[in-house]
Amino acid sequence: MKTEQAPRAQSGANSFADLNNRLGRTVADAVGRTLRDRGVSRMLIALVVAFAFFAVMRPRIFLGPINMQNIMVAAPEVGVIAIAMMLAMLTGGIDLSLVSIANLSAVTMSTLFTMMAASNPAFGESMTVPIILMGLLVGTACGLLNGLLISIVGITPILATLATMQILNGIAIVWTGGKTLYGAPAALTVFGKTALGPVPMLFIVFLLVAIVIATVVRSTALGRKLELQGANPVAARFSGIPSRSVLIASYTLGGLLAGLAGVLFLCRNPTASADYGASYVLLVIVIAVLGGTNPNGGFATVAGVVLATLTLQVVSSGFTALRLSPYQYSIAQGVILVVVMILDTIDWSRFKRKRGPATESASLQTTQVGSIKKEKEQE
Amino acid sequence: MQLLRKLRGANNEGSLVLVLLAVVIGMSLLNPVFFTVNTAFSILRAATVPMILALAVLLVIISGGIDVSFPVVAIGSAYTAVTICLKTGFDPGLPAIFLMAMVIGGLLGLVNGFVIARFRLPTLIVTLGTQGIFFGAMLVYGCTRYYPSLPDSMAALSAVNVIDIPTDTGRAYLHVLVLLSIAIAVIIWAVLKFTMFGRSLYAIGGDVEGARRAGIRVVRTQLLIYVLVGMVAAIGGVAYVVMSRSANPQDLVGGELDIIAAVVLGGASIFGGRGSVGGTVIGVLLIQVINNSLLLVGVPSAWLRAAVGLLLILGVGIQAITARRSAQRIHSVDDAVVATGPELEKVS
Amino acid sequence: MDLLPGEVHCLAGENGCGKSTLIKMISGAERPDSGEIEVDGVVHTRMNTTSAIQSGIQVIYQDFSLFGNLTVAENIVLTSAVAARQKIHNIKKAREKAKAIVDELQLDLDLGADVENLSVADRQLTPICRALVSDARVIIMDEPTTALTHSEVEHLFTVVERLRARGVALVFVSHKLQEVLAISQRLTIMRSGRVVISGPSAEFDRRSIARHMTGSDVEESRRVPEFDAAATPRLEVRELTLPGAFRNVSFRVGKGEILGVTGLLGSGRTELAESIFGVLPAKSGTILIDGQPVRVRSIQDAVSAGIGYVPEDRLTQGLFLEKPIADNIIAASLDDHRNWWKMLDRKRIWGTITHFFDQLKIHAPHPNRAVRTLSGGNAQRVVLAKWLATEPKVLILNGPTVGVDVGSKAQILDLLRIQAERGVAVVIISDDTNELVACCHRVLVVAHGQIKRELVDDQVTEESIQESMAV
Repeated sequence: MKTEQAPRAQSGANSFADLNNRLGRTVADAVGRTLRDRGVSRMLIALVVAFAFFAVMRPRIFLGPINMQNIMVAAPEVGVIAIAMMLAMLTGGIDLSLVSIANLSAVTMSTLFTMMAASNPAFGESMTVPIILMGLLVGTACGLLNGLLISIVGITPILATLATMQILNGIAIVWTGGKTLYGAPAALTVFGKTALGPVPMLFIVFLLVAIVIATVVRSTALGRKLELQGANPVAARFSGIPSRSVLIASYTLGGLLAGLAGVLFLCRNPTASADYGASYVLLVIVIAVLGGTNPNGGFATVAGVVLATLTLQVVSSGFTALRLSPYQYSIAQGVILVVVMILDTIDWSRFKRKRGPATESASLQTTQVGSIKKEKEQE
Repeated sequence: MQLLRKLRGANNEGSLVLVLLAVVIGMSLLNPVFFTVNTAFSILRAATVPMILALAVLLVIISGGIDVSFPVVAIGSAYTAVTICLKTGFDPGLPAIFLMAMVIGGLLGLVNGFVIARFRLPTLIVTLGTQGIFFGAMLVYGCTRYYPSLPDSMAALSAVNVIDIPTDTGRAYLHVLVLLSIAIAVIIWAVLKFTMFGRSLYAIGGDVEGARRAGIRVVRTQLLIYVLVGMVAAIGGVAYVVMSRSANPQDLVGGELDIIAAVVLGGASIFGGRGSVGGTVIGVLLIQVINNSLLLVGVPSAWLRAAVGLLLILGVGIQAITARRSAQRIHSVDDAVVATGPELEKVS
Repeated sequence: MDLLPGEVHCLAGENGCGKSTLIKMISGAERPDSGEIEVDGVVHTRMNTTSAIQSGIQVIYQDFSLFGNLTVAENIVLTSAVAARQKIHNIKKAREKAKAIVDELQLDLDLGADVENLSVADRQLTPICRALVSDARVIIMDEPTTALTHSEVEHLFTVVERLRARGVALVFVSHKLQEVLAISQRLTIMRSGRVVISGPSAEFDRRSIARHMTGSDVEESRRVPEFDAAATPRLEVRELTLPGAFRNVSFRVGKGEILGVTGLLGSGRTELAESIFGVLPAKSGTILIDGQPVRVRSIQDAVSAGIGYVPEDRLTQGLFLEKPIADNIIAASLDDHRNWWKMLDRKRIWGTITHFFDQLKIHAPHPNRAVRTLSGGNAQRVVLAKWLATEPKVLILNGPTVGVDVGSKAQILDLLRIQAERGVAVVIISDDTNELVACCHRVLVVAHGQIKRELVDDQVTEESIQESMAV
């Protein structure tokens, strides 16, 4: 155990060396911690393997610059939603309405733009920023709705978000008349096509979002509260953690991210519809679970989710390169999900067996046997 | 008091019946066309397939799980059975077609059951996965073709009506498959109430570890549950295909919410251990009645899904709030706290 | 170990002594490495749960293993029906079977009620009936009296007498020795996985049992720190009432005072503590901290007011088992560990963790280890650290040394004394009279939701506490 952390007096000459040391230690810590997280190391391997596989199978198509670009352009919208799903799962819940929120937000923005640009196209363009803000606001409001239903009314997350998914979907359908809307600020489309060197701007946005959320989860009090709430809601309550606010924050933030995903939808294509991305609902759950998120709550890493997003995008693009149909991709998603979860249980049950005595009976007396025995074994 | 409690039903089914009656009466007052035999029959007809599917899902929900792959299993089994018949040009008759579909449904259910029971995985996520697999498999290895005509035996059935009465506005038909849904309801009710298998569903849903300790073979039971769900869903799929006179592999998919909503509204707890056939029946009818009413009133069909969502929130929300209220009762203190006696007795 | 028909045999021992494992082996839940189990002359070398039940061995765990959503009658017949591989569930027959047993034991149970609506005592009687339906000849009860109120315990003992008359052999696994000694004929004490001594209960007294259980004559002697009784009390409670739990309770705890609260289960003492902590907010009355009234409508209110609570059920309520020790320690004080930019200040967090590892002597290889790897004593220290990190004014502990080994127990009591010396008002709710005598300035005895007696200074002795608790 580190007991040598007493702060040392720093003279000018040493301070740079100290800073260097500290930086080195921090990076080593972060990397060590990241790699230790099962989800991340697993995903890193999966990404490399998948990439290698398809690169070998169809090098001409797969390794072409267009394909790489496509992967990096298509991944962000899914990835942002997957991060939102991760947040919901972190608190031990789930959010099935994320795609509907994203669509509603896109529909809102498209409608606003069309309204404003109807008389004067330039006016529409100038209002790009307020339009985007409106989209984000819609997302946040929907997320807030979820949060209130779950924490104040007390409806379990599955049912609450299942219901809001349908309600928001219904609203979007009525609004669009079931048709696809066409119209979005040109600025967005241009943004969607811009790249910083080889990396598309959309991808950079994705990475920025990932960094922000990762910071929130790891380095803010709210983030820890989210984790603790998911890990053990009873103990969280008894530790003074404001469960209601925490849950509301979690789903509202998720809604905001979904709204952002709606903006990304528009950047890729200046169209919005109520049913876009229906297959994303399953996909983001697969990504979240693959990325090491424990669906029961308390454990997740953003890095894992990002890598999982990329991996699945690689697989999807690989399937296309191999001329396989989207339905086969759907099969692949399902198979990957089930297989990964099965593999996970091989770890988790070692978990569970250690917990065995603790969950067997409520008696405090008997529960300590397991841990004391373990301690004795370790000695 | 006891009678009142019995009437209310173990899961507030009584209140649900009242709600249903209220909606029916309300709608009939608003629009007298509603209160006719025609409407009643058409509601029953529309409720047939959802009823069968809801009863299948009820089994899973009572045991503490959830299954979102059932619509795909339903249509998949039916579609495959139809494909086989049409491709081979051989029409083995209705019972055999039903049986074929049930076998396929049972096998698909077995996959679900195996993964869930053997590895103890969360049911929602597993069935989301299998939904994708089954759907993809059906469209990849089956055909994406839409069959406008069915094998003769099925086509014949689609025209059979068990009741055919003249009314003021024409003839009112009650399709024979309504009887099928009633039969399934009765069978499942009997299984839940009178068989050890049925009771063990409630036990597993109430406390899965306790069930294991009590000697119930949880893994085997769960396997059986999912196989049954697959089979019943398949029956529902065939019924659907018959009533819509065509086989489209993309039908039914996406309708999970309506069915699960009906079951949950009917008093089943999503966490397991509670639920009844009666409640589910009323739940399904309620949703159909509301759908029908909204259509009659002129609400665009796009709102129907949203309406079900809203209904679900209301129903479950009220359940959640009342549950929280009753949980705040305090049981633990010995004897009634009496006001007599000195407050503090200092030992001198 | 051997059991005679019609006798009540008590199995006692500290945590980790192996009694739970022994029970699991007898009931077939675990396989022994060697040795055999002989039931009525039949030797079993490979016992599993089914064969155990068929041989007539039944275990009733502390959670009763009941299905709340099923009726009493169903719960009673379920296990035997399953064992008999029954396919059909005949409601009438089930009820008759259940009724037969219930009548034989002269109980008053509503067979048609859902189990979750029963009182705790009735719930405990249900598995006993269930055991008898399977024709149990050996019934092992794990902590049978822990959840019962005093009168319920008496009722249980009458039922036990009827079981004995039936020739059933009963094993009570318990640490409530006073109550169990009263009813058992023989006593077996285990320590470190071995049977240390076994014999007729009459030959033991509390002291000798404790000696055998711990292997030493460890008794805490009374040592209470000084405090200023004249200053404004740290915690004052006036006319606190929660209908159904307690009524018009008033007391004060000075700065640096250690107050003990005890009483039989069901007396309202836990509810009182939980009420002050905001779990079950009182309906009327006032709570004052340092002379200022505070509103405690929720746990957050309590924590902001400076009240900390170490719960009895630390596994579920006190700890995040899968989370690292570090996360557990700062769980209640996250907001205090932020820097200017409202981000978590890692240096401060590390400082807090090392501070408490040191001060509370937490034994763990690294703070990143999950809490579930810790022993009872260490885990309790982590919970204590969590609350001490909030710099509380009032610290309430419910059963602080339950499930903790003897060595840790003394250290924890010492830690509490140190906190008292620092000015914290400490309230200890406990059944352990030795513990209460060892560190409490005063002891309140609660009964029927009211404070029945207050013992001060020299009056705080084991005898006077026992006496006050006797009804």
